[in-house]
Amino acid sequence: MSSSFLLDLTACIGCDGCTVACKTGNELPQDVSYIRISERVSGTFPNLVGSIDNHRCLHCADAACVNVCPTGALFQEDGLTRLNASACSGCQYCVQACPFDVPVMANGVATKCDGCRDVVRAGGTPWCVTTCPSNALMFGERADIAAEAHARATTMRAKYPNGQVYGESQAGGLGVLLVLPDDPEQLGLPRDPDIPRVTEAWQDFAQPIGLGAIGVSVLGAGVAAVIARRNHMNEMRALEEAGAGAEGNDDEVTP
Amino acid sequence: MSDTTFKQPVITEDGERILRYRPAQRYIHLLVAVTFVALFLTGLPLIFEPLSFLAAGGYSRILHRVAAVGFMAVPILYFLFDREGMKELIKESFTYDKDDLRWLTHMGRYFLGNASDMPPQGRLNAGQKLHHAAVIILGTSVVFSGVFAWISAGTMSDTLLSWTMLVHNVSMLGLVLLLIGHIYFTVVYKALTSMHTGYVPTVDARIEHSKWVAEVEAAEAEARAAQERLEEARRRAAQETGQG
Repeated sequence: MSSSFLLDLTACIGCDGCTVACKTGNELPQDVSYIRISERVSGTFPNLVGSIDNHRCLHCADAACVNVCPTGALFQEDGLTRLNASACSGCQYCVQACPFDVPVMANGVATKCDGCRDVVRAGGTPWCVTTCPSNALMFGERADIAAEAHARATTMRAKYPNGQVYGESQAGGLGVLLVLPDDPEQLGLPRDPDIPRVTEAWQDFAQPIGLGAIGVSVLGAGVAAVIARRNHMNEMRALEEAGAGAEGNDDEVTP
Repeated sequence: MSDTTFKQPVITEDGERILRYRPAQRYIHLLVAVTFVALFLTGLPLIFEPLSFLAAGGYSRILHRVAAVGFMAVPILYFLFDREGMKELIKESFTYDKDDLRWLTHMGRYFLGNASDMPPQGRLNAGQKLHHAAVIILGTSVVFSGVFAWISAGTMSDTLLSWTMLVHNVSMLGLVLLLIGHIYFTVVYKALTSMHTGYVPTVDARIEHSKWVAEVEAAEAEARAAQERLEEARRRAAQETGQG
C-alpha cells in the first residue's frame, strides 16, 4: 500500500483549519506546528498574483531526513516518512538536511508530520484532511490521488494557464502531490529539491567500507599478532643464547 | 628530560630498566585511551545501525560530549605538565633521518616480530613517528570537525553538515585503524610495562632504540661526571678551608 496526500493550492483558502486540527488532534506542544499557512504575493506591481503557502512535510520518497537519520527514528512506510520519536537521539541531522525545512526540535527530539499514522491505521483520515472546508486536501491510494491531481490540473487550466501537478518527480516523488496555479518557483517551491549527494556517499559508501576496514584489521591483526609474538620470542631466545650470557632477558617479566 | 611533578630515576640502579615514559606522560596517555574509547563507543551507534538503539534518548550524545572535553584537554594538560615531552614528541614525529627511512623500507620484518637487524632507531622508531604524526593530524581534524558540528548543530546547511560529518568520520576511521596497529605492536613486543611502570627492559630498548639508549646513557654518564666533579671541588674547598 502506498498512500499520498493531495494538496490543491488553487482550492486552499488559507483558513488555517488544518493547522489547528493537526495541532489539536496530534496534541502538539505549544510552539510546534506541522503546518504553517502564509500568504504570498509574487510578480511586480501592478501585475501582482496572490497565493497561499501551505508549508508542511511533503513526504519525499528519496527523503534527505531518512537518509541522514543515524538511528532509524525516521523511516519510510506506506509511501510516507514516519518518525519514531523514542528512537531519536536528538542529533538534528534531519533539521539540517531537509530541503523543505520541515523537521523541528521539541523537547530535545525531532518532530514532524507522520501522516497521522495511528489515526490512519485505525481506519481514520488525517486530521488536516478531515477538517479542510474547501476540498483542498485529500488522502488515499497514490494512484487515485495522482489521477485526481491531474484531473484538477486539467480543469483549472482555463483559469490558470501555468497550472500543474508538483511532486511526481521531485525527491524521488513526493507523498504529497500538489496542484499548483503557477510554476513552482513562483510559489516558493524548488523545481528540483537539492538532496546532498555527499550524504549518500557518507551513508552508503564510506560507512560500510570504514566498518569493514575496521573488522578486517582487527581480524588480520589478531592472526598476525600470534605469529609475530612467537617470532619475537624466538628472536629474543636466540639473542640470549647467542651472547650476552650474563645479561638476562627481562622481557617476559610481568610487572 | 626533566619532569617537575614526579621524579623517577632514568636508569634503575641495577641498570636493567630504563625510563621510557614519565608519570605525566603515562597519565595523559591513560586519559587519551579512556576518552578515545568512550568517544568511539558513543559515536559508533550513529553509524552502525544495529547499535542505534544505544543512541535513542540522546544519552550517548551527552557522554560523547563529556568524553570530547576530556579528549580536547589532552594537549592542554600535556603542555601544562610536561612541556618538554610535548615539544619532543611533536618535533620527533615530524623529523626523519636516513636510518628512519631505511627502517621504513624494512618495516615488514618489524611487523612480524623481528626487531634485531633493523636500522638503529632513536627514542621513537620511524613507525612510531608516523603513527604519532598521523594521530596529531587526524586528532586535530576530528576535534575541529566535531567542535564545529557541536557549536553549529541545527543551523548548518545540509551540504556543510554532510562534509563536516564525512571529515569527522573518516578522521575517526583513521584513528581507530591506528589504534588497532598500536595495540598490535603493544602485544607483539609486550610493551605495556612502559605505560604501567614507565620502565622498559634495557635489553629490549638496546635492540629497538639503540640510538636513544646510547643518548640516555651518555647523558647519565655526563650527569654523573658533573656530579663527581662538583663533589671533588667541594671536597677540595673543604680541605682548603680546613687548612686555612
